[in-house]
Amino acid sequence: MSACNDDHCITCADEGVEMRVLERGAAGVSVCVTEDGGRADVMTELVGVVEDGDLVLVHAGVAIARLRRA
Amino acid sequence: MRFVDEFRDAELGRVLAGQIAATVEPGRRYKVMEVCGGHTHTIYKYGVADLLPPNVELVHGPGCPVCVIPMGRVDDALAIARRENVILTSFGDMMRVPGGDGTLLETKAAGADVRMVYSPLDALRIARDNPGREVVFFAVGFETTAPSTALTLKRAKAEGVENFSVFCNHVTIVPPLRALLESPDLRLDGFIGPGHVATVVGVRPFEFIPADYGKPVVVSGFEPLDVLQSVHMLLRQLVDGRCEVENQYTRVVPYEGNPRALEVLEEVFELRPHFEWRGLGFISHSGLKLSEGYASFDTELRFDIPGVRVADPKACQCGEVLKGVIKPWECKVFGTACTPERPIGTCMVSSEGACAAYYNYGRFSREPAAV
Repeated sequence: MSACNDDHCITCADEGVEMRVLERGAAGVSVCVTEDGGRADVMTELVGVVEDGDLVLVHAGVAIARLRRA
Repeated sequence: MRFVDEFRDAELGRVLAGQIAATVEPGRRYKVMEVCGGHTHTIYKYGVADLLPPNVELVHGPGCPVCVIPMGRVDDALAIARRENVILTSFGDMMRVPGGDGTLLETKAAGADVRMVYSPLDALRIARDNPGREVVFFAVGFETTAPSTALTLKRAKAEGVENFSVFCNHVTIVPPLRALLESPDLRLDGFIGPGHVATVVGVRPFEFIPADYGKPVVVSGFEPLDVLQSVHMLLRQLVDGRCEVENQYTRVVPYEGNPRALEVLEEVFELRPHFEWRGLGFISHSGLKLSEGYASFDTELRFDIPGVRVADPKACQCGEVLKGVIKPWECKVFGTACTPERPIGTCMVSSEGACAAYYNYGRFSREPAAV
């Protein structure tokens, strides 16, 4: 998993981080990227099928929600 | 990045602050609790509190998962870590939380194999890589984090990883809110609801607050404009005499939450009869344990664990801080004996803890920061 976002760890608190799907992978694991370029393998099975470019809310290595486009 | 930058716009923040100032009734005081530690962090990192009129007070709630873990459970984790052949894995913030018998970091320094992970999936990978060792994941967190642990356990079961187990300390948000609302010393006008917990559980679980206790709730996002807009929506309800659950964070939170995540939680966990919360005591049906189908992965069944209740240090007032009864700087040891470098209480450990947020952003008294 990518490092913490400045002074604020993405898994130490009950907070999620918005990430963009860079590359949909096999077995429900996709490569995602944070705002500041941090990459991580993210399990996406809880948010259904994702496509490259989709925005998801990630917590502790798992996407728990999709961000809706305005 | 979309969904981030536009919610940190300073000019829009000033506009919202003006709307809030125009909404409040002079002579009336408003006391609003942000439930989630992530909101507390945002409020002090971005100076949100300084944009509010003096008669609007933000009270910090119990929604920091690290802060609410009682000392006895930390001691249990230390006992597990000291066992022969065990690798104990934990999120970073828990590493510095003091139990009655030290911290995980100190135990690691003394020779135990304690490793920080960013996800329980990392802990499972460590188990796969170390088939001759027992790998334990120290699971903490609300409904936001529990799905990650649940998916990891499903994967461990599917792969037959027998040397992996979970020391489960997951908790649920509604029971402590109800306990707070029942507390006689609590004086609140409304709640800023936990947006990321709500991505999983949805909006419905918070409807008991207006229905049973007559307090409005606004489920909120975590950027500074989210919090400002949520405060405005809450104040608008109070001024209009309305009392309902509103969803400010519609770009992420569906009304029904995440049904797939809820299904996974239902399969992997079950409610404990009661669970101890730091500062709040034992609360019925507020903690999760592994269900019967996953009992073979339950660390508490796999190992003999002390399970001793440990009282908080007398000087520590985390309980009052977590209930919003006192501000962090009103605690006797805040900023002196208790600092982020040498925390006494859990609220000073996690960056989401109210005391750490106050300390790190220079709030040592009631004086507002210069803006």
